[in-house]
Amino acid sequence: MTNPILDVTDLVVRYKPRGLFVPPPRPAVNRVSLGLPAGTTLGVVGESGSGKSSLLRAILRLVPVESGSVTFDGRDWLALRGADLRSARQGIGVVAQNPFLSLSPRLTIAQILSEPLLARGDRHGSDLRDKTAALLLRCGLPPDFLPRRAGELSGGQAQRVAIARALALGPRLLVLDEPTSALDVSVQAQILNLLMELKADFGLSMLFVTHNLKVVAHIADRIMVMQQGVVVEAGPTEKVMADPEQLYTRELMGFGRDFARSRS
Amino acid sequence: MILLEIKALSVTFPTATGAVQAVRSVDLQIEKGAIHGLIGESGCGKTMTGMALLGLLPKGAQVAAEVFRFDGMDLATQAAYLRGKRIALISQDPAAALNPVLTIGRQMDDVLRTHRTQPKAARQAVAVELLAATGLADPVELLNRYPHQLSGGMQQRVVIAQALATGADFLIADEPTTALDVTVGAQVLALLRKLVSERGLTVLMITHDMDVVAAVCDRATVLYAGLSVEEGPARAIMGRPHHPFSAALLAALPDAVPRGHKLAAIEGRIPSPTQAITGCAFAPRCPSCLPVCPDTPPPVRGNSDHRWACHLDKGAR
Repeated sequence: MTNPILDVTDLVVRYKPRGLFVPPPRPAVNRVSLGLPAGTTLGVVGESGSGKSSLLRAILRLVPVESGSVTFDGRDWLALRGADLRSARQGIGVVAQNPFLSLSPRLTIAQILSEPLLARGDRHGSDLRDKTAALLLRCGLPPDFLPRRAGELSGGQAQRVAIARALALGPRLLVLDEPTSALDVSVQAQILNLLMELKADFGLSMLFVTHNLKVVAHIADRIMVMQQGVVVEAGPTEKVMADPEQLYTRELMGFGRDFARSRS
Repeated sequence: MILLEIKALSVTFPTATGAVQAVRSVDLQIEKGAIHGLIGESGCGKTMTGMALLGLLPKGAQVAAEVFRFDGMDLATQAAYLRGKRIALISQDPAAALNPVLTIGRQMDDVLRTHRTQPKAARQAVAVELLAATGLADPVELLNRYPHQLSGGMQQRVVIAQALATGADFLIADEPTTALDVTVGAQVLALLRKLVSERGLTVLMITHDMDVVAAVCDRATVLYAGLSVEEGPARAIMGRPHHPFSAALLAALPDAVPRGHKLAAIEGRIPSPTQAITGCAFAPRCPSCLPVCPDTPPPVRGNSDHRWACHLDKGAR
């Protein structure tokens, strides 16, 4: 058994109360623990207010943590400061929900992809150009996309660019926040296929956050269901999907074609 | 009785660089009391079709149709008159549909005052009755609340109550569950189903979500690039789609194959709305494309209950 690449123990995130005499609110994330073995995908499922985004932000160190510990790649993640944090963050790639919001409309695709490389200290030149072209090609877009801007791309193409950018610094962990929710079903299938290929090729670990249990059931090795800041169910995907312990998990599977079969 | 009948509806926007065909040719036939799904991906013209029914197309839109009839009336001239009297819209985002600075009671009354001649007390009683009919608890108290004090599911119920307040019997629901959580969306769909059977409503359900269609629709029409490609009973389209695009759409869903297997993505892109289509619009992306497909418009196959436009004589697969 390999060591987990990401290990979260008893994590609590609580936002500030809205006024001086207002009692502190319920924690957005309440004693959540998770382990992500290297090379596997964990799906985090929940509805609005379940705390899944707060959990993600805490792991990315974007919101302060009240208590608990996070270990990433063997290091105490929450203790890192300044330059150490900056360099350690290269180990995590992030893909957001809406590529048209996460990609600058002013920059060309080439500029978008070289930005993280330049920030790391790479120099302009043919090396950089080759690197960005290779990244883009690996994500399924030919190099003639490099001079274009995000506004000229379809949703699926833009999300491919966002994934290429997340991979630019060779991360070990990819954090995906609803990466297919803004896309059509036919395009969602392309992106899910791409993510599965990348996972196999690079041995990536993934933290996949979504409200769509069917998407996550397809791509994740393990599933964690959150409700109101608490993990209500966690386990291997097959187990959770075939025999959910919680009524809530069954409700999340939702209505639809299974329901239609049982209707009549 | 057929309440809505549309044949060869097109919506075109003339521009300097050529005509943009938002809707190329859509056929719809909706029985009174049915929930009819209008399925398609972004840019297929499903929302524009709904807006044409409401007479709410943007300026400059050119509408043409062979048949464009609602309950014996010509929609081409009567759409604005029918809107709010017989036809109402339930939009995707309830938070945007409601006015944030007015109370629910005021917003309900605005609708009732416009559409009914009743004294204020009677209108308020109607508002309370309609809010209760949409499953909202404590409707009297609710009249004094503001939209931001309600959850997304409650807001969508208020929007449905407003649609009912107009007295309309034909509702156009444009992605009514997309902005809601899954569990809340399921409740809203169940409510619509209930209202249809209790009040004899008819619903056009515009959606990209096959699960919504399977859950509540009686019949459905699949659109591709502004064209109706398949129409039939929702169960038949979900269970055995005949048009290759409908089949591809279902096959691309993440639960269509075992976990971790490659999904059947549809390669390529939809044709641009400025592009002229000579043969079958789906031909360039179709896995079973025949030599005849790109240049010859596909024949309509099947029967009056379930029909599709395709050159393959047996349909997909």
